[in-house]
Amino acid sequence: MDPLYETLAASLQGTVRTPDAFTAEHRENYGRIFRWTPRFVVQPQSQRDIVTLVRFCREHGLHLTNRGAAHSQSQLAINHGGVLVEMQSMHAIGAVDEKSLTVDVEPGVLWSDLTHRLAKSGLVPPVLTNNLGVTVGGTLSMAGIGVASFRYGSQGDNVVEMDVVTGEGSVVTCSPETNDELFWGAIAGLGSFGVITRARLQLRRMKPMTRTYYLLYDDVRVFLEDARSAMDSGKWDHLESWGAPCAQGTRPVAGERQVFAKWFYPFHLTIEYDAGSPPDDAAMLAGLRPYDNLYTDDCPTIEFLERMVPVFALWKKAGTWEFMHPWIECILPWETAADCIEQVLADTPPGIQLGGHVLLWPAKGTTSRSKNFMVPAGDNLVGFGLLPAVPQKFWGEVSERLENVSRMMLLFGAKRYLSGWVNFTPEEWKEHFGARWHELVALKRRYDPDSILNPGFLPFEATP
Amino acid sequence: MSLTFGTEAWAAALAAALNVSSEYRNAAAKWGDGFNGNVLLVFDADATLGTTRALFVELTKGSCRGASFVPGVSHPDAGFGLRAPLSVWRDVLSRKTLAATAILTGKMKVEGDRMTLLKHTAAHRALVACAAALDTEFPSA
Repeated sequence: MDPLYETLAASLQGTVRTPDAFTAEHRENYGRIFRWTPRFVVQPQSQRDIVTLVRFCREHGLHLTNRGAAHSQSQLAINHGGVLVEMQSMHAIGAVDEKSLTVDVEPGVLWSDLTHRLAKSGLVPPVLTNNLGVTVGGTLSMAGIGVASFRYGSQGDNVVEMDVVTGEGSVVTCSPETNDELFWGAIAGLGSFGVITRARLQLRRMKPMTRTYYLLYDDVRVFLEDARSAMDSGKWDHLESWGAPCAQGTRPVAGERQVFAKWFYPFHLTIEYDAGSPPDDAAMLAGLRPYDNLYTDDCPTIEFLERMVPVFALWKKAGTWEFMHPWIECILPWETAADCIEQVLADTPPGIQLGGHVLLWPAKGTTSRSKNFMVPAGDNLVGFGLLPAVPQKFWGEVSERLENVSRMMLLFGAKRYLSGWVNFTPEEWKEHFGARWHELVALKRRYDPDSILNPGFLPFEATP
Repeated sequence: MSLTFGTEAWAAALAAALNVSSEYRNAAAKWGDGFNGNVLLVFDADATLGTTRALFVELTKGSCRGASFVPGVSHPDAGFGLRAPLSVWRDVLSRKTLAATAILTGKMKVEGDRMTLLKHTAAHRALVACAAALDTEFPSA
């Protein structure tokens, strides 16, 4: 028995596991690129447990890694030799404050559970991620972006207040007005400065029905112009798009024949409406120039919010959920987006659709106040992501090409979104955060002086 | 039969390979359209190459008008330059290293408008592929 086990277990309300009780999931995250084994896995029951854990880790020189649904793909949500904290055990949802339209939640709450709870009252968080099977604490630590981000920014921009347990074991209540340094450190802070134990989330009223227009584009530049027009029109509640390959057979690439594709761009534009008052289709689509208008879908808003559930279910059923997921997502400047997308997709095999996809999301550079969610300058931005599922045996030949995709994105002026596979050097990290990096280093020293929280990803240890 | 690297026969073979390559013709169809697409490939001296060599390749819209080794490491008619030690070139031409990796990591230096080069990645990849396909005898240490 581990000599620290009994002391740790006796001090917590929650449960403590040792390696003999670990599952494969405890050793990896959704990326399945790294396999780390912690010394303990803890399922905390309360904020008090988190305080106790942090102090225990400080005392015994252990690193502490917290995880939500472990959807990250780099060295996050996994721990090597320390304590892995499964935050999903803290999943309480408080009562909605109808006056301020806010709700207090614990960090392990799944967005799907929260969405269902709120839908009964006709309320919804302003921004939801495509995958609702992730946790509030997880996405707030990353930024959290979705198909309404062009209107409301990131999920982190819609937090009113949080409780954060710092790396010293202190509980700090923070907001954009009070203890704002820690608040904006924790939002998109990758768990580097504290453990979020409560978040008060801003909500909005939603209409019960949605109408979605399934448009298709064959030219990325026309699509982007229409996407900008749609964002600026103020007519739409949700905008979602992809790259969709149409396989064309094989052609030589660097002398070897490979399957290639003509890429199309599905663009789904959604508006919420009250039953009996559907939108005027002609007015909604006026001025847009799609290659084709494929389908118009009416469904309850809650069903729209869960539209990706069948896709993820299929990935799980097909087995690709267990593949490696070295996702490469970025936010591009508007000016270079079309060129970058065209260059990257020209080399992207259509097989990426097997258990994965290519995401595009039109975005505004002015909707997020987050200090850690780095985006290029500009009023209009384009999110772009290659989200492959890679069989483990192909990793050797795929990894270099994906790293080159990331490098190319950066040369086109992009900022990486950090939930995916990010293999930056310390210098590239500094470049990513720019002037913010020195502030992050100062925050780390102030709130986690022993560097026990979530080590292994951001290179604080490489900064003297 | 192997061609000796650095000879005019090697340069001529590269030009011929470019002009019969459907990969190059398609990938580079817009290369040099509205800009100077001529490229100077510089092979810096290293343990196996006593003297730095430079190959001037005249390229426009998917075809090659000629290739020849030239003195010095610059050329007044070159729109772009790709420069690296011969050891890096050997790794690229033997497919040990992707040309894109060499360029994107800075192992191969780019001269000229980097953004234009980025917008035509398939063109320079096909150029390198044609060179890689030549049966080349490199100098040995």
